[in-house]
Amino acid sequence: MDKSTLHIAILEYSKIIYEGIQAILYQSDTDCRIYKLETLDGLTGLLESNPVDVLIANSIHFVNREKEVKKIKKSYPSLSVAGIEFGMMHKPSMLTDITFTLYDSPEHIVHLLSKLDKKNHSQPNEKEGEENLTKREVEVLTGLVSGMLNKEIADALNISIHTVVRHRKNIAVKTGIRSQSGLTIYAISKRIISIEDI
Amino acid sequence: MADLIDSNPYLLLMLQHFNIDFRVSDHTVLQLCNRYDVSEQLFISIANLYNGSGSREEQPFTRKDLLQVIDFLKNSHNYYRFDKYPQISSYIRQLQENHPEKELKLLEKFFNEYFMEVREHLDYEDEVAFPYFITLLGDGKTGNDGEAYSSKEYSEHHTDIELKLKDLKNLLLKYVKIEGDPDLRRKLFMSLYELEFDLYIHSLIEEAILIPSGVDIEREQNG
Repeated sequence: MDKSTLHIAILEYSKIIYEGIQAILYQSDTDCRIYKLETLDGLTGLLESNPVDVLIANSIHFVNREKEVKKIKKSYPSLSVAGIEFGMMHKPSMLTDITFTLYDSPEHIVHLLSKLDKKNHSQPNEKEGEENLTKREVEVLTGLVSGMLNKEIADALNISIHTVVRHRKNIAVKTGIRSQSGLTIYAISKRIISIEDI
Repeated sequence: MADLIDSNPYLLLMLQHFNIDFRVSDHTVLQLCNRYDVSEQLFISIANLYNGSGSREEQPFTRKDLLQVIDFLKNSHNYYRFDKYPQISSYIRQLQENHPEKELKLLEKFFNEYFMEVREHLDYEDEVAFPYFITLLGDGKTGNDGEAYSSKEYSEHHTDIELKLKDLKNLLLKYVKIEGDPDLRRKLFMSLYELEFDLYIHSLIEEAILIPSGVDIEREQNG
């Protein structure tokens, strides 16, 4: 599959709006493939079988389903969400990366979407070189290098052993260091612990 | 053969593991193999691994070939034990002396512990695994009563000594701050990469040649 093709899912009941957006995209230079969605549940199914870069959605679909949307965004971090607003005024939403209104010009809409595309292309590169650990991962690492067992770390942080194991895997992937003694040196280099602690 | 070495100097390591002298003159591979009594097929299989184009298709190796494989692996153990690891160890020692930071002390400790694990692993192979294979290849009777040692067990015990080497490399490349000393650090890196490469080939030979052949012979005997 061509990586430069933008996969766009449009979640919108209105045929007029769906076809309008589709026409704007097809008439622009955007190299894209468009999927039509009727419901939010349809998105989950689509994501399982296809890479979707952008979801364009009528925000009405998100009402009372914020948790599900957040979960989808978490599971598919490369997915960007563009909200369609119906009025001239719109309140910023935490769920959307960009929003446009029905009264925006086609050029403006295409411009906004192309910015999302760029963001997606630069994201993996930034992530590759980045070993920044999350706060939780630092906590797990600290426990680990001070000789605590998985269970002890789990109890101390009030999380399950399974979660500790998952954090440990992520730490190994992010740092490229797998052995405990190697991680100790990492933690000292990064000033996560001091040499006196060990 | 000289042309082959020109295109991939790592083949020198392979020659050394085969006990073949570096002065290969104008000999072809076949001439060289005949001269040193090494099977040409085995030589080419291993050379292909060094050239990065190992074929996965199983080659029927003779018992004599497999005994040579074991000699080859033993020789590479000596290369690790008496050449490569001590060399790396001395670089790290020197680095630690030049830079009194505590981190480097820890790094040296990390390496020494790792080296000890490696030696244990090499000893295990030399003292347990290889004698087993040699007996298996000789009269076929392994003298096992009941709890039989097997190729399968060997492949399970076959621990990943490349893992900590990667850690060491990543620590030096990404995290541990050392000011200056580029010559020494470059030499250390080059040694680490050389070692990593040979260890990689070493485990490929074990996994692609020795273990499958051992399993085949065991199956013959038991079936």
